[in-house]
Amino acid sequence: MSVVEFRNIHRAYRKGEEVLAGLNLEIPAGQVVGLLGKNGAGKTTLIRLAMGMLEAQQGEVRIFGMDPREKPVEVKRRIGYVSEDQILPEFLKVKDVIALHRGLFPGWDEAMADDLIGRFSLPLGQKIKKLSKGQARQVALLCAVAHRPELLILDEPAGGLDPAARREFLETSIRLLNETGTTILFSSHYMTDVERMAERIVMLHEGKVLIDGELDSLQEDYSLALVPHANGEMRERLLGLNGCLGVRKRSDAWHAVFRHDPARTQSLLNADLGVKDARCQAIPLEEMFIELAGGQG
Amino acid sequence: MGLLIVVDPSSGVPVYRQLMDQIKFHIASGLLGPGDELPSTRALSSELGVNPMTISKAYSYLEKENVVERRPGRPLIVRDLTGEAMTDQRMKQLRESLTAPVRMALQLEIDREEALKLFREMIDTSEEDADERR
Repeated sequence: MSVVEFRNIHRAYRKGEEVLAGLNLEIPAGQVVGLLGKNGAGKTTLIRLAMGMLEAQQGEVRIFGMDPREKPVEVKRRIGYVSEDQILPEFLKVKDVIALHRGLFPGWDEAMADDLIGRFSLPLGQKIKKLSKGQARQVALLCAVAHRPELLILDEPAGGLDPAARREFLETSIRLLNETGTTILFSSHYMTDVERMAERIVMLHEGKVLIDGELDSLQEDYSLALVPHANGEMRERLLGLNGCLGVRKRSDAWHAVFRHDPARTQSLLNADLGVKDARCQAIPLEEMFIELAGGQG
Repeated sequence: MGLLIVVDPSSGVPVYRQLMDQIKFHIASGLLGPGDELPSTRALSSELGVNPMTISKAYSYLEKENVVERRPGRPLIVRDLTGEAMTDQRMKQLRESLTAPVRMALQLEIDREEALKLFREMIDTSEEDADERR
């Protein structure tokens, strides 16, 4: 059974302005999914729907087969959640926040909590209000993982953290994955974190899933073709080729993303368009993101 | 465990490929010998900060290619490659690294004989350099 299911989800904040427009997504148990998209592409909305914090205007959300709006407690007990703008009770001490979560989650793992308290050097007697942004996020992470959730949802968890704290975050998530086989859905602007963690990439664009594939296959079966301007106006000709996902006119050359490996793209350009001076190369995730979601140019 | 493996997640080369290439390189260069143990999936995953599935994937491919041997409940070990298999392995490494230059030669429409001559020349110069250093 899928841990997360979104079926034909529509969600608009204002009439006629849909943030999610008929989105479908299923995540099987144990998979790690990296959610990408520009600001406003609908990542946070999607995550809030999964958490039951928002309701879809159309479509079905199922977490562990349940509707998170109907069974909030049953669902949330099995989820760990950290977001960039998460609010912890300001006037409680760190140890009280941890005690609060220990009481809420039946599967609380005391040894893991203690280990993380040590690793993060958390000041237990300090009030949340007094913590740095990084420390507060670490408290949130500890509370999210110490009950060994079946599903971990991270919404831009590393935003505003320094590289060392980001790495700690990553390692803690990987540990959970190793020990508990947790399903992970996370969004991040840090592509290297996504490339380290995710097996599967889901790229949202204009309220829909633009790309959904295994990370390895995105790196092996996609390519970027750089076609010199000397070839003239190329936009329509490139878009007409099999597997072309997007074309941008850049100052150095035409940039076109293809759903083919570099060699295949090269031979297509050669055979179908007679273009001999194109350079075709593998495309790092960040480049692909910029080429496909980076606006029209 | 002094196995030297470095991953660059942003290189555009899948991480499992990077792992395979480096382990094979260590075998071809003699840094890893027959019977040497590879770190567990979990250990390498935490050490490198990458998804454990990625490590498993690299290991299964290496197993399929007969480079390593899986033994139930124990660490993976490097297989004892016979002289011939070792040469195969080395040739395969070389072949893979030559893919990009070959593609470039075709793209730049460089004459086949010129390209071969360049390769020979470069081998000769490197050998001479190596001799001088000795």
